[in-house]
Amino acid sequence: MKPAPFAWERPASLPALLDGLDRATGSVKLIAGGQSLGPMLNLRLVEPDLVLDITGIPEFRQARMEGGTLVLGACVTHADIEDGRVPDNTGGALRRVASAIAYRPVRNRGTIGGSLVHADPAADWVSALTALGASVEIAGRSGRRTLPVEAFVTGALDVALRPGEVLVAIRIPARPEGAAWGYVKHCAKIGEFAHAIGAVLIEPDSGRGRAVIGAVEGAPLLLTEASPLFGGRIGADFAARFDPAAADAALIAAGMADRVARHVHVTVLARAVAQAAGHTPTTLPEAA
Amino acid sequence: MSAAPADIPGPVPGRMALALTVNGRPVRVEAEPRSHLGDVLRDGLDLTGTHLGCEHGVCGACTVLLDGEPARACLTFAGACPGAAITTVEGLDGDPVAAELRAAFNREHALQCGYCTPGMLIAARDLVLRQPEADERRIRVGLSGNLCRCTGYAGIVRAVMGVIAARRARGILPETGTERALGPVGARLGEAAVAVSPPAPALRPGPAAATVTAQAVDLAGPFAPAHRFTQSFDLAHPPQAVFALLGDIAAVAACLPGAVLTGRPDHDTVEGGLQVRIGPIGAIFRGRARIAHDPATLSGAVRGAGTDAAGRSATEGEIRYRVGPGETPATARVVLDVGYTLTGPLAQFGRPGLVRDLAGRITADFARNLDARLAGADAPAPAGLNLLRLLAALVRARLAAWRGRA
Amino acid sequence: MSAEGVGAPLPRKEDDRLMRGRGQYVGDIRLPGMQDVAFVRSPLAHARIRAIHVPEACRDRVFTAADLDGVLPIRAVSGLPGFKASEQPVLATGKVRQVGELVAMCVAPTRAEAEDIAASIVLDLEELPAIHDMLAAREPGAALVHEHWGDNVFLETLVDVDIGSAFDAPITVSRTISTGRQCMAPIEGRGTVVQLDHRLDQLVVHTASQMPHIVRNGLSECLGIEQGRIRIVSPDVGGGFGYKAILLAEDVALCWLALRCGHPVRWLEDRREHLTANANCREHHYRITAYAERDGTLRGIDCEATVDSGAYSAYPFSACLEAAQVASILPGPYDFPSYRCRTWSVATNKCPILPYRGVARTGVCFALELVLDAVAREAGIPPEVVREKNLVRPGQMPFENITNKHFDSGDYPEALARALAAIDVESVRARQGGAEPDGRRIGLGLAIYCEQAAHGTSVYSGWGIPMVPGHEQASARLTPDGGLELRIGAHSHGQGLETTLAQVAHEILGVPVARTRLVHGDTAMTPYSTGSWGSRVMVMAGGAVAAACEALRDRAVRIGAHLLQAAPEACRFDGGHVVGPNGDVSLEAIARTWYRRPQDLAPDTDPGGLEVTAGYKPQRDSGTFSYAAHAAVVAVDPDLGAVEILDYVIVEDGGTLVNPLVVDGQIQGGLAQGIGTALFEEMRFDGRGQPLASTFADYLLPGPAEVPMARIDHMETPSPYTRFGQKGIGEGGAIAPPAALANAVNDALRPLGVEMLHSPVTPHRIVAAVLAARSAATRARDAA
Repeated sequence: MKPAPFAWERPASLPALLDGLDRATGSVKLIAGGQSLGPMLNLRLVEPDLVLDITGIPEFRQARMEGGTLVLGACVTHADIEDGRVPDNTGGALRRVASAIAYRPVRNRGTIGGSLVHADPAADWVSALTALGASVEIAGRSGRRTLPVEAFVTGALDVALRPGEVLVAIRIPARPEGAAWGYVKHCAKIGEFAHAIGAVLIEPDSGRGRAVIGAVEGAPLLLTEASPLFGGRIGADFAARFDPAAADAALIAAGMADRVARHVHVTVLARAVAQAAGHTPTTLPEAA
Repeated sequence: MSAAPADIPGPVPGRMALALTVNGRPVRVEAEPRSHLGDVLRDGLDLTGTHLGCEHGVCGACTVLLDGEPARACLTFAGACPGAAITTVEGLDGDPVAAELRAAFNREHALQCGYCTPGMLIAARDLVLRQPEADERRIRVGLSGNLCRCTGYAGIVRAVMGVIAARRARGILPETGTERALGPVGARLGEAAVAVSPPAPALRPGPAAATVTAQAVDLAGPFAPAHRFTQSFDLAHPPQAVFALLGDIAAVAACLPGAVLTGRPDHDTVEGGLQVRIGPIGAIFRGRARIAHDPATLSGAVRGAGTDAAGRSATEGEIRYRVGPGETPATARVVLDVGYTLTGPLAQFGRPGLVRDLAGRITADFARNLDARLAGADAPAPAGLNLLRLLAALVRARLAAWRGRA
Repeated sequence: MSAEGVGAPLPRKEDDRLMRGRGQYVGDIRLPGMQDVAFVRSPLAHARIRAIHVPEACRDRVFTAADLDGVLPIRAVSGLPGFKASEQPVLATGKVRQVGELVAMCVAPTRAEAEDIAASIVLDLEELPAIHDMLAAREPGAALVHEHWGDNVFLETLVDVDIGSAFDAPITVSRTISTGRQCMAPIEGRGTVVQLDHRLDQLVVHTASQMPHIVRNGLSECLGIEQGRIRIVSPDVGGGFGYKAILLAEDVALCWLALRCGHPVRWLEDRREHLTANANCREHHYRITAYAERDGTLRGIDCEATVDSGAYSAYPFSACLEAAQVASILPGPYDFPSYRCRTWSVATNKCPILPYRGVARTGVCFALELVLDAVAREAGIPPEVVREKNLVRPGQMPFENITNKHFDSGDYPEALARALAAIDVESVRARQGGAEPDGRRIGLGLAIYCEQAAHGTSVYSGWGIPMVPGHEQASARLTPDGGLELRIGAHSHGQGLETTLAQVAHEILGVPVARTRLVHGDTAMTPYSTGSWGSRVMVMAGGAVAAACEALRDRAVRIGAHLLQAAPEACRFDGGHVVGPNGDVSLEAIARTWYRRPQDLAPDTDPGGLEVTAGYKPQRDSGTFSYAAHAAVVAVDPDLGAVEILDYVIVEDGGTLVNPLVVDGQIQGGLAQGIGTALFEEMRFDGRGQPLASTFADYLLPGPAEVPMARIDHMETPSPYTRFGQKGIGEGGAIAPPAALANAVNDALRPLGVEMLHSPVTPHRIVAAVLAARSAATRARDAA
């Protein structure tokens, strides 16, 4: 199980990377930690002519606060977040998500940017960052642009990068004062791809909430205005008001025909809501 | 791959020269960029203690220390870690934590066949260093990235618990890991590594027989798809107009993202190709399609079959469509029943949902393009598809097939 | 019991090299000039090969069936009447009958380059209808895997012992029960390195094998070259479980290639090949009916069992061993008067099956123990009562059961009683009465089995397969410095034989385990053996080592007596010394005398010296019967289908335990595989026979967080027939868990009206069943 041959370049700066992308004549893949692309290369499901290794670029390996916003370079790893090597403006939400991704040896090289660009629906960041209202910073030769994560992830393994563009950073807004966070994923065994993800960011004080149903077949289902899940109103009693039938209806509307899958997704979302309300004790991170 | 003392320069074309520190010893290795660290260590340096169990990052047998942290050797390509320090199980002979673990593994019967053991010890060592206390659940969760098929893990868990408890009892505190730089372990900032020239000219399948497998499929015979879904979309055009457009195979192909027509051997049959992309996975299926069209019921069907270049992955599919009135006058609703079968590596990837999502997105693009065409605009070229390359490939195949006939 | 002899929980000798990365597996072998092989495999389950297009540039590095002149297909026949033989071509000829079947062999300096060549080869295949469902395969008009058979049945068998007399039983319970298809998934795949030794004119075949001598038989037959020209070396092997008890088409192909090319060649199976292309196991389907009295006493069992044997009969166990074994072992540890079982071994367009740890026992235990729980529910009595009513009693031992299996010894009800006490049935039932705070449901499940192991000539001659075990042999040799060398033809790949057979030798000769070396896995250096399978090695090789050591001891006593100037009858052997009336002499001194100072030997000394090869068979070779009662407590989340194992008790009787540490390791390791069968592992296929998993992300093996520490209790009822009373126990841990866990899940979900009858019991299946039961309940309410 060895990859098809490819050339390899490891540019030392963003301009050099963009030049490399521009120059390339054949098919090109960017690689960061390689924890998702690596298996596909080894299985020869992906056979690029050139692999551009982006982990030597300093800008990608930084984290900083801009006002209340956390800006994580694309090559910050899950372990960096898990270990607290980057600032936290989410009340521990990022850290908890990071620590439950796959396994430690994978987290030591797997990156947040790589995970988002790979956009596997079953992966954690796609859903978690959507729920947290994060956005991505994209650079191309003609400049930079920013997209909300929900606009960036367009489908299963599909993102809104144009030819010649790269994801450089993820911008995560501060968790609002008093906002409740719940994130639950359902796996058949630890470290496995999720079969269902529920993520909620609820602001009982302002009556707002975001809810994400993830690990579906395509891009996660986002309810930017989650009050229909709570009988039309979000308040301090939001957990009691959670309406599974509304969530089920949302999934039907999104085209999920399989009743069993819907039941599992609704259950997981309900548990994320309960967790946000503090109804379930904080358990151990369920990942290796 | 080959190993050489650190002072001899110059890699063979297509290979890259890497300066590494392996088990404390500086080495210079030459490797193809596609070689992963597991092969570099095993075949280049004869360090066969690092085992390969799955080569896709799940089993953990190949786990090594990269700059002191556990990482998968099978997912770390040679070019990703110039300058890195690598420790394999062979390098842990004198390591005091590993020595304690070895004693505990032996005492607790924590290994049987021993194949997972090197990776298991490296993962266990990391846990011993980091876990604050000998909590069984945390240790089990922490070892989940390493599969053992023999022991049932009981001895391994007891061994790790024992070593952690003993060390904490001796006052040795857990490490917090806050010191290191951000980014993937083993990846050095600014350290360039290049293997520019494409390695030895890649063997490509000869085009002569490229479509033979697909030709063999009887498109008029019965078809039992392995996967099925139904999708519908609305168009702001009258049903008759929509149906008429769907009867124009050239127009339909132009609206279908990634599709190219190369021939029409008879009235009901077309030849061509379809390029699909599922994220980084790309496949070009070449083959034939048979078209049926029933004006009486405003319905029809397209049945196609194609294979990739080497005949390894193949697909067969049928789209039955029905055009009916939309919710408002002069609009149409198109209902598609899609059935398809995939064979080969793409089918065996185990994630049929990804294919369904792709099929759904293709359908949505198709509807958009139909809409644009009905409105008089040309279908936009889909982004990200290298149609020129696809066309070139198809033309080559056509020529070859033509020559074959002559 | 001495500190190192039989019964000592001795840590293993083999651990140190394995923990330092110095094990030597096939993939670790380095030979000058060695090249790698990659195979082109069929992407289709059933197709006619019209052409194989090889690019001109690599024509000399690609080989197809047309090149393999004189190589015969692999044939694993059975002597059972009606068996239809398959011929498995080494490289496909004419047709391919499974995904992954070998079509072409590519050789290059590295595996990556060999795969490049393989990727450049174009297959022109005409797809044929594939049959992937074993029940459909038996229907008239089904596509035929082997056309000339006329149907898809390798073998049909029938056992009928007066079933008609059970039909009037007051309780009749019928179920359809099935087990999923699995891959055995040792962490090391298979691998073969073949080298032509010109000096000895011998093919040296390094292959990860549980049965090197059997591989030599098969290679010799397929290649048509004499056995003396083949040497098999099975080095360190990274797990077997049955997967490496086979003659591989790859082995044959590589031998041919080494002869053709002259340089060493290597093939290492990768994970995708393992999962999609090579042997599977375990796919059974049962239609089973239990007839019982109202108190749970069984009147009879009636069963139709089908096993999906895949496309070819694998060498040496054949395609019918599994299904035919179903008929003979379905009655399990129970005693009842009527029995009928019809079995079919069915050919499909899937990988062949091999006997996986537990072989058919895991499936029959699943079917029988689930139906016993159904009887208990129907009768309204606890499941343990049904078992207590029907287990063979200790007073009946030795016992001939309804299929003429001869149970050697044991107290089956005692094992059940201990398991019930350990799991604390009362408190589990009390807990079930209350609601769990997290909404999960608690269930208790039981399963009991007995396991025929180490069965020999009398059993296997009846199967008529290519391999029949006879006497097991071992060699023992004292070295001139008083160390001991043992040689066996079986193989150790995790079982710890380097330690445990040294313990057996120590029991007799007193040589320290550290000074005893085991040589195994090399046909050039060991006596013939059918190898390591069927939980047979500690009984058979253990008995043979003991016999060899005893003969060695007797010779040593004669030499020692001469040195002590005493009559041999006046001397005894104790703790590594010959003790005479007036002093003693050590084995070291005796060895020194034999080898270095022969002038000190008596003139009539036995010229055989201090090296003995002895053969061994138990007094009866119908097998030992170890047994165990498993009891599991689970918590089931009905909305997500997650199953957590809260407690797991195993009461095991393996007779005399040679090394309890190793025995516990076998049981716990078997449990992990049983949990995989029960809850996680399944190789699914689509309608065209495409396997739907090619990575460990799709085929789930249980990890550390999914396998609890079993609480293991031992009974030690010696077998009356074996050297130390030991019984085979290598497979037992994997037999009962699927049944115990499914019964526990069913116990938990019974109030919801859910009964799971297919393994693995996955989260998705549980949720689907729960939702279906809820819908049915709603409909029933609405109708009322």
